[in-house]
Amino acid sequence: MAETPKKIEQLTASVDSIRDAFEKHSYICNDQIATAVYLAFHLRKPILIEGPPGVGKTELAKTTSEMFELPLIRLQCYEGLDEAKAIYEWKYGKQLLYTQVLKETLDEVLQGARGFAQSIERLHEFGDIFFSEEFLEPRPLLKALKEENGCVLLIDEVDKSDHEFESLLLEMLSDYQVSIPEIGTVKATREPPMVFLTSNNTREISDALKRRCLHLYIPFPDIELEQRIIKARVPEILPKLRKQLVSFIHELRDIDLKKAPAISETIDWARTLLLLHTDSLDPQLVRDTLNVILKFQEDIENVDAEITTLTSKVLK
Amino acid sequence: MDRTLANFIRALRNSEVRISTAETLDAFNTMELVGYKDRGFLKRSLSLVLSKTEDEKQTFDNCFDQFFSFDDIHGARESKAANDPDGDASVGSEGSEGGESGAEGESSDRGEGGGTGAGAKKKKPQFTAVEEEEEDLGPGETSNAQSALGQLLMNDSKVELSVTMSLAGEKIDVRDIQVFTQKGLYTRKIMEEMGLADLNREISDLREQGQVPARRLGQELRRRRDWLREQVRDYVEKQFLLHADTTGKRLREELLRKVKLSNVEHRSFRLIQEIVFRMAKKLAALHSRRRKTYKRGQINIPRTLRHNMAYDGVIFDLHWKSVKIDRPKVFAICDVSGSVANYARFMLMFLYSLEAVMPKVRSFAFSSDLAEVTELFERNKIEDAIAKTMRDYGGGSTDYGQAFQDFKKLCLDDVDNRTTIIILGDARNNYGDPRAEILKEMYDRAKRIIWLNPEPRNSWYMGDAEMRKYSAYCHQTEVCNSLMHLERIVGNLLRTV
Repeated sequence: MAETPKKIEQLTASVDSIRDAFEKHSYICNDQIATAVYLAFHLRKPILIEGPPGVGKTELAKTTSEMFELPLIRLQCYEGLDEAKAIYEWKYGKQLLYTQVLKETLDEVLQGARGFAQSIERLHEFGDIFFSEEFLEPRPLLKALKEENGCVLLIDEVDKSDHEFESLLLEMLSDYQVSIPEIGTVKATREPPMVFLTSNNTREISDALKRRCLHLYIPFPDIELEQRIIKARVPEILPKLRKQLVSFIHELRDIDLKKAPAISETIDWARTLLLLHTDSLDPQLVRDTLNVILKFQEDIENVDAEITTLTSKVLK
Repeated sequence: MDRTLANFIRALRNSEVRISTAETLDAFNTMELVGYKDRGFLKRSLSLVLSKTEDEKQTFDNCFDQFFSFDDIHGARESKAANDPDGDASVGSEGSEGGESGAEGESSDRGEGGGTGAGAKKKKPQFTAVEEEEEDLGPGETSNAQSALGQLLMNDSKVELSVTMSLAGEKIDVRDIQVFTQKGLYTRKIMEEMGLADLNREISDLREQGQVPARRLGQELRRRRDWLREQVRDYVEKQFLLHADTTGKRLREELLRKVKLSNVEHRSFRLIQEIVFRMAKKLAALHSRRRKTYKRGQINIPRTLRHNMAYDGVIFDLHWKSVKIDRPKVFAICDVSGSVANYARFMLMFLYSLEAVMPKVRSFAFSSDLAEVTELFERNKIEDAIAKTMRDYGGGSTDYGQAFQDFKKLCLDDVDNRTTIIILGDARNNYGDPRAEILKEMYDRAKRIIWLNPEPRNSWYMGDAEMRKYSAYCHQTEVCNSLMHLERIVGNLLRTV
């Protein structure tokens, strides 16, 4: 166990070591991303990641947990998410049983008590465990705090949750603790979790939350970086085809589309082409596989006319 | 060190990146961790801590490059001086000299040994270049300069010069510079503070002297004075960019908010548009939260049961059903005839910028005949849609009666008790039939009718204005002729629904 912290220390010694470690886990990133993880680790701050869908926001958290060999605890946000699902809930069934047990032993406890005041006193002495940790069902946030050796907490798509939930997160993010009214404050163990929040920017995240986080924006990668990503993720694909398909995707991103293809789409496409045993792009092939990279009929129709020009441009 | 960062944060705030005190502290912590050594690393790190949206990151990058420019310039200079062939040396070094003064100002500001030392070293190429020029004029001894600034100039001590320059800058509060027209003024002020008067006197004295060395000194001093002026101008320019760029803009924006929209000049449209978008964004952020109302009398059974298990199944902690409030449904009817066209333009812009919180805006434009323009706005960019609306429907003579009749035919059926109708117009009907009875019908059906009139209230009932008849069937009538009015009205609209 003592070796783990040492390993983490080694990994986080510099930005370069983090980037290399990511690369080993086939997550290719630029300096900005590696810097973010470096700072997050050393300043003990959560990272709020924004960017278009499919650029690897969630993947970053997953890879980080793999890299540090820490468990990943994930909280998927949605409208209506509340503390009962995010922080803790009482085990109602057990509590119910407990009250029944209590009822049966009540006579014993109160035996010989004289008057109401004394009975109450006895009851208090008996110990109140109704609201105690035994009956507490920890949800992701609380679980993350209780993790002995630290963990990676991923709060996914925080923009989908309600405003109220954001305020709920604030205590967790700034002090690594949560307050449970019946019990008190639960603080993080020795190692506070590394927190990643992702957002697709469907709504503005409040300033209070942003203030507590490092803010990382992941844009679409440039051609060179994307080629390396494809190389890491789909190593079987031929370098020539890889180059072609990445530049094709980049051409597509320049067109005004409803949803531009992201990295995940590029990867899917590379896998598709590999499956079809192609070694070079041609218009017909592109047309047939266009639905892998474009997810709206409107976009597909728009691009359809351009395919020949785009392909020849890429093939040059 | 800390002062540099504080200054940088101040410059960032000036460029409208919002930075709280907590974030400033974070920045200091980051600085401690990262250090000044690796510029790219520092930039990336600070960018993570200080800028919190995509736009802000852009601003941050620009600001950082401007503020911490010295490193790059040093590097560029080094290579430039090395690469330049001898013949071009004077041009090359002259050019890069200009850039350096800013850097010098910065580094002396920070009192950092490394920066200034490097600066002094860089001085060399320029020095030799000047000497070469001197040979053209005729070689020989020069006499010694008398005035303080003259001595400083002849000493070739750039470090001292820039220190004097920034000290002079501090003294005359160059940071208070507000608008770009003041640049000349501040340049002169700094020069004067540095002792320009004495120098000028010396130069003119020297010109009248007979001896060659003295005259040569005069020429040399004049050349160096001009060079110094360039440096000071650069320095002021930089201070202006960092500290004043937005104060002037803010001043203009403040004015534009209050000015009557019909008086806005065409060249200010872009700025107004920016303001409108920003106002809309503010309102949207304020109201993007959807509220709940509780349906009184309806129990949410599953929730109640679950919460009451803790009490042995005895139901006494009741939970009620709730509904989320819908966003307001807004119909905007805009008079786009000549007199009110500008108001309509900005109101439409405002309403459609609020898409995030008011998704259900339908808009109608008329001067005599009324037509729906909602689709235009859906398909085009706001500016284009407005331009098209103005072109297609503007310009005719106003006929409110006809417009109301058209509205009735077109979509009175869609008006329900959740609809707010906003009518923008001066109610000047050219003595036609006002058809107020249609407005009454609308009044009965709609949740609210708000009439926005760009004219001041006291002229509402004069001439051909039908405001008296119309206002009887409005829930609210408001004067609306500036962005400030617009913001208040739309803000109220969002608050009360």
